[in-house]
Amino acid sequence: MSEYLLAFKAGRAFRNEGTNRVEPSPTKGAIILTNGDDGLLHFIWKNRSTNQIEEDLILFPTDASFVKVSQATSGRIYVLKFSSSNQRHFFWMQDASDERDAKFVENLNGLLQDPEYTLDWSSGATTSAQASTSQVPQATPEQLAQIQRIVQSMSGTTQPPAPELSLTDILTSDNLRPLFTSHPELIPALFPHLPPDLPIPPSTEVLERVIRSPQFRASVASFDQALRTGLLGGLVRGLGLPEEAGTSVEAFLRAIQEQADRGDSMETD
Amino acid sequence: MSSVEESGGWQLTESDPGVFTELLKRLGVPLIVDDLYSLDSESLALLQPLHALIFLFKWIPESSSNSGSASSGVPDPEFPGFFAHQVVNNACATLAVLNALGNIPSLESGPELAELNSFTTGMDPQTRGLVITSADWLREAHNALSPPSAISLDELGLPKKSEDAYHFVVYLPFMGSVYELDGLKQHPVNHGTYPEAGEGWLQRARQVIEARIATYPPGALEFSLLALRDDPLPALQAQLTQLQSAGLDSEAAEIVARLANENSKRERWAFENSLRRHNHTGLAYGLLVALAKAGTLGKVKDEAKQVMKTRLEKRRERGEDMEED
Repeated sequence: MSEYLLAFKAGRAFRNEGTNRVEPSPTKGAIILTNGDDGLLHFIWKNRSTNQIEEDLILFPTDASFVKVSQATSGRIYVLKFSSSNQRHFFWMQDASDERDAKFVENLNGLLQDPEYTLDWSSGATTSAQASTSQVPQATPEQLAQIQRIVQSMSGTTQPPAPELSLTDILTSDNLRPLFTSHPELIPALFPHLPPDLPIPPSTEVLERVIRSPQFRASVASFDQALRTGLLGGLVRGLGLPEEAGTSVEAFLRAIQEQADRGDSMETD
Repeated sequence: MSSVEESGGWQLTESDPGVFTELLKRLGVPLIVDDLYSLDSESLALLQPLHALIFLFKWIPESSSNSGSASSGVPDPEFPGFFAHQVVNNACATLAVLNALGNIPSLESGPELAELNSFTTGMDPQTRGLVITSADWLREAHNALSPPSAISLDELGLPKKSEDAYHFVVYLPFMGSVYELDGLKQHPVNHGTYPEAGEGWLQRARQVIEARIATYPPGALEFSLLALRDDPLPALQAQLTQLQSAGLDSEAAEIVARLANENSKRERWAFENSLRRHNHTGLAYGLLVALAKAGTLGKVKDEAKQVMKTRLEKRRERGEDMEED
C-alpha cells in the first residue's frame, strides 16, 4: 500500500436524522491520509477491529478541511467538509488523551491544503504562518452566528472555573485612550470595524464613544465568555489565528501578540 | 431547543426610547417615545400631545410577595378597544406599544400595522396576542434592534421566578376613562373617568401610577416611565417658519434651541441604534491587535489579571459565589 502521510485514532460519527445531532459511533478506527498509487491524496477511515478500509475519499488540495464541530456536546467531534460540495463526514477523536487533537488537526489541515506540507509536532505555536498584514480579517456572519450559538448554549446553572483575566478589563477606555494618543497610525485600520451605518463619519472620538458604549462592552463580555468555553477554534481561524487561539482568553491574546510580532517583523521601515 | 420555542424567535430588546422610536418608524407611525423622569405637570406639559404612558418595571421578587396587586381599578371584560395578551416573553415591549397604538383614535400608520389591526378586530385578547407574535414582519421589526450576539434571558435557562421580571404596562385614555393595559392580565383595567379640563387624563394617570409605585416596598422595584407622544419635529419646524416670517426673533430663537435639542437626541439615538445592530467582535479583535502592535498588550494583560484577582478576593470576602457580572 502507498505511503502514509498521517494517521491517528478516530472513530466515525453520524448525524441522527431525528434529532439532527451528530452522534459518535463506538467502533474503533483510524483516519489515514496517504498518497495513493494513483498519485492522488486519499482520506481513509479504517476500522481498527476488522482492519477493513470502510471509507476511501479522494481529495483535491484545498478542497477539504477538517474542523471541530463546536455545537457538539462532546468536544471532540470533527467534520470533514468540502468547499466544492455539501458532503459532510463526521469523526471523533479516539486517542486516549485530547492533548494532541489540535496537532493532528493542524497537520491534517496542512496536508489537505498542500500534500507537500511538512508535518509539525512542536508544541508551541503553529508554524503554518499566515502572513499577517495590517488588514484585519473580518469574521464572517457564519462565524459570528457560531459565537452566538455558543454563548447562548451556555447554561446559567454551570459556573465556569474562576477566570484568570477578562477581556473586559483589557479593552477599557483607560487602556485604549493612551494607545490612540501614542499610536495614531493604528487608528484608521480600526474604522472598518465600526458599524457601517453610524450617522457621523469615523474618527478617534467616535471610536472612543463606541468603546465606552454599553453595546460594545456587552459584546466584549460575550466574546470573553465564548472564549472561555474553549470552543472558538473555527472562529479564530477565520481571523488568521491558529486554532489553539480559540481555546482560552490567554491563548487568544498570546496568538494575537505572535501575529502582531510577525507582522511587525515583516514591515520595513 | 425548547428555549427557542418559548421566545418564539423574538429576541430581547433594550427598553430605550431610541429603540421604541425606531420601532414606531418601522410601523409607519408619526410618534416617538421619550424618557419621562418625573410625573410633575411641567415635565408632562412639555411632552404634549401625549398619547400614552408606558410604565416599565423590573420587579425584584424575593423582597415583595404580593405587593403591587392592590389595584384601584376595575377589570373591564367588555373593553371595546384593542387589547392583546402577551404570549411570548421577549415580545413584551412591542406588544405594549401595539396595545397603545391600537387605541389611539385616527392614528396614521403603515399598511402592515393597519392590516394587522383590522384583521384582529373582534378577536379575544389571547388570539390577538398569538396573531401578533406570529407576524413575521413585526418580529423582524422588533429584532432589528437587538444585538447580533445578545444573550436572551429566556435562553440562559434562568430559574422560573425571574422569567416575568420585566414587565410593561400601558396607561392611556380611552372613551373618557384612564385604562391600564397589561398583556399579562386577563382584562384591561378601568381606572375611572377624568376631567377634560386642565391636565385631563394625565392627572388621573399620575395618581394611579404613583399609588402603584407606593405599594412596593422601597428598593423592591426598578422602574422607568416612557411617554408615547407626537413627533415634535414637524410642529416645531412649522412654528419656527411662522415666527420667523412674523419677525419674532426671540421666540424663534427659543424654537431653534428646542429643535437643536431634538435633533441632537435623534443623532444620539441613531448612533446607539447602529451600535445595537452591530457585532463588535471584529473591533474588539482589532483593538487587541493594535495594543499588541503598540507593545502594550503584555502590560494591560498583567493589570487585567491583577484586577481579576482583586475582584475574586473581594467576592470571596463578601462570601459570594463566583457570579458573572
